[in-house]
Amino acid sequence: MKYRREASLLILVAVLSLLATLFDGSFVRDNTLDILINSIPTMIISCGVMLVIITGEIDISVGSLLGLLAAILALLCSTVSPGLGIHPYLAIPIVLTIGTLIGLGTGCLVVYGRVPSIIATLGLLIALDGAQDWLMGGGDIKHFPQQLRNLGTGTKLPINLIFTILVVVATGLLCRKTALGRRIYAVGSNRSAARLAGISEAKIKLFVFALTGLLTAMAATLWVAKLGNVSTSTGAGLELKVVTCVVVGGIAIRGGRGRLLGVVLAVILITMIRTVLNFMDLGSEAVKWQRAIEGVMILVAVTSDHFSQRQQSGGSS
Amino acid sequence: MNKWLSLIGLSLASLLITGCSGSDSERDDGTSTRPNSDRITIALLPKLKGIAYFTSCAEGAQQAADELDNVELIYNGPTTASADKQAQMIDKWRLQGVDVIAVAANDPAVLSESLKKAQDAGITVITWDADAQAEDRSFFVNQATAEAIGGGMVDTMANDLGGPDAVGEVAIISATATAANQNEWMKHMETRLQSYPNLKLVATKFPGEDQNAAFQDSQDLIKKHPNLKGIFGISSVSFPGAAEAVKQAGKTGEILVTGLSTPNDMQPYVKGGEVKTVVLWNTQDLGYLTVYAAAAIRSGELQPGATEFTAGRLGKKQVSGDQILLGDILLFTTENIDQFDF
Repeated sequence: MKYRREASLLILVAVLSLLATLFDGSFVRDNTLDILINSIPTMIISCGVMLVIITGEIDISVGSLLGLLAAILALLCSTVSPGLGIHPYLAIPIVLTIGTLIGLGTGCLVVYGRVPSIIATLGLLIALDGAQDWLMGGGDIKHFPQQLRNLGTGTKLPINLIFTILVVVATGLLCRKTALGRRIYAVGSNRSAARLAGISEAKIKLFVFALTGLLTAMAATLWVAKLGNVSTSTGAGLELKVVTCVVVGGIAIRGGRGRLLGVVLAVILITMIRTVLNFMDLGSEAVKWQRAIEGVMILVAVTSDHFSQRQQSGGSS
Repeated sequence: MNKWLSLIGLSLASLLITGCSGSDSERDDGTSTRPNSDRITIALLPKLKGIAYFTSCAEGAQQAADELDNVELIYNGPTTASADKQAQMIDKWRLQGVDVIAVAANDPAVLSESLKKAQDAGITVITWDADAQAEDRSFFVNQATAEAIGGGMVDTMANDLGGPDAVGEVAIISATATAANQNEWMKHMETRLQSYPNLKLVATKFPGEDQNAAFQDSQDLIKKHPNLKGIFGISSVSFPGAAEAVKQAGKTGEILVTGLSTPNDMQPYVKGGEVKTVVLWNTQDLGYLTVYAAAAIRSGELQPGATEFTAGRLGKKQVSGDQILLGDILLFTTENIDQFDF
């Protein structure tokens, strides 16, 4: 079955929803929108990192990059010292540009510097985190203009969610309907064949890294808009969550294979686990095991699929 | 190979540092008024300088130094919360020959060697705000005990919800499940909650340092417990996260959030009504007390075993073992929050 991974993820989402409904009858009605909104940063960045992994590379610097970009946006926009009080509509393009340039720089390091991407982005993960700490100087930054907060707290219309859906749809179209999308897959699945077909591996990889930088900047903007607070810990650990979602979503870690739909479902699944556990009466001791339970869920998602695959291939041979 | 390289690097770096400090102290010898026997030079080291919290501590410290004729105060610190930088500054002050070094330690283990060397050189070492290892200093100026903080937050919440007979469900949003400070506070919070039989603790959450998770946990609690009346956000991440979740859920005024924070950081939520009271200690008084304690310890007026000493306008302050207690917490509300700028 072609959509095996997507199917097992969907079943897990359904099982979790059912489980939570047992504890609270109106769980689905009350929480669907909030879960989707809470998944936004992971969702947007996963679209980029997914493409990077499809080309056979990886980017684990996105957590620190989000933190740094959030700090830059905060310093530009915040109306209280040390903020500069620049209008958000001017500050956001600046942040998007910086994000894209840092992503492009990462790409250059990998493509021209020939540094393995896991090492290059691990270095960046640390360096960008340091830059964020240095920029922030230790304190939190708050006090943002309403135009910025409106992007994250739109009371009637969730602008941030609509924007995220557009990003997901655009990524889906890029993957399936464009020559560029086919080349991204080609570079990851068979480098030498791609080269023979005249595809510039360098250009494709630069593109996906730069796009990831841009998407991370978008996520950073929506993060600040929604939470209204940037601290030195902003973004910490997000890279692991994103890579987890991409891999659980069925993107082959060696590149070349996997679909966006699986990633989208994985992001929703991993975001909703927290809320489902919050709605189950676990007591204050069991709550400490939340992360362990999250990990087990991830293993279940990946291995159930793995076993069904083995069973099937065993049956057919 | 790598080990050798780092060894060479380290020795070069230390040469460089001691070299620089040497020339610094020579220059100081020539120009500054060197402390004679009855003048006391106190070097006050914050976790980092330039942030409002420590700047206001320094203001109080300067007040104390102005009141005490024989005290000269040096206030300096790293620009990021770096223990290595703090160690360098301590080494520099040791070579300059200050009388007292008062440290808000970023990392007790990293600072240990520098503090030991300073003590060996005859310098009085005390800590304030954040303690070092007990053997590396004589006294710790403790801004508030875990009991004062934990109990204070519960009293504040109960008071804001209607006094001793306050009724309702409350929840705690902490940091990680292993955060030492928070766990210590929670122990005292649970004890104090027993004095309010109608306040029921319905949940404790551990979102870690993740702002998004703190927001999500608060959001879920609000929906899961329709009778929720109060949230304790007891970390610098969970306090604003909970307040923002209450605001976005449209529950402003129905659910109160309280926690520890500087007044500036939570000012928007106090003005907005999500937070009625912010709990902290008086940071100016902390700096003030630290300088008075430093001078008293150096002059021999305050010795190990003492149970109290007089700190200027603060009056008599309790000394418990090797800790000098600042005592009461300070509450920020709409009435007084504008008077504080940190």
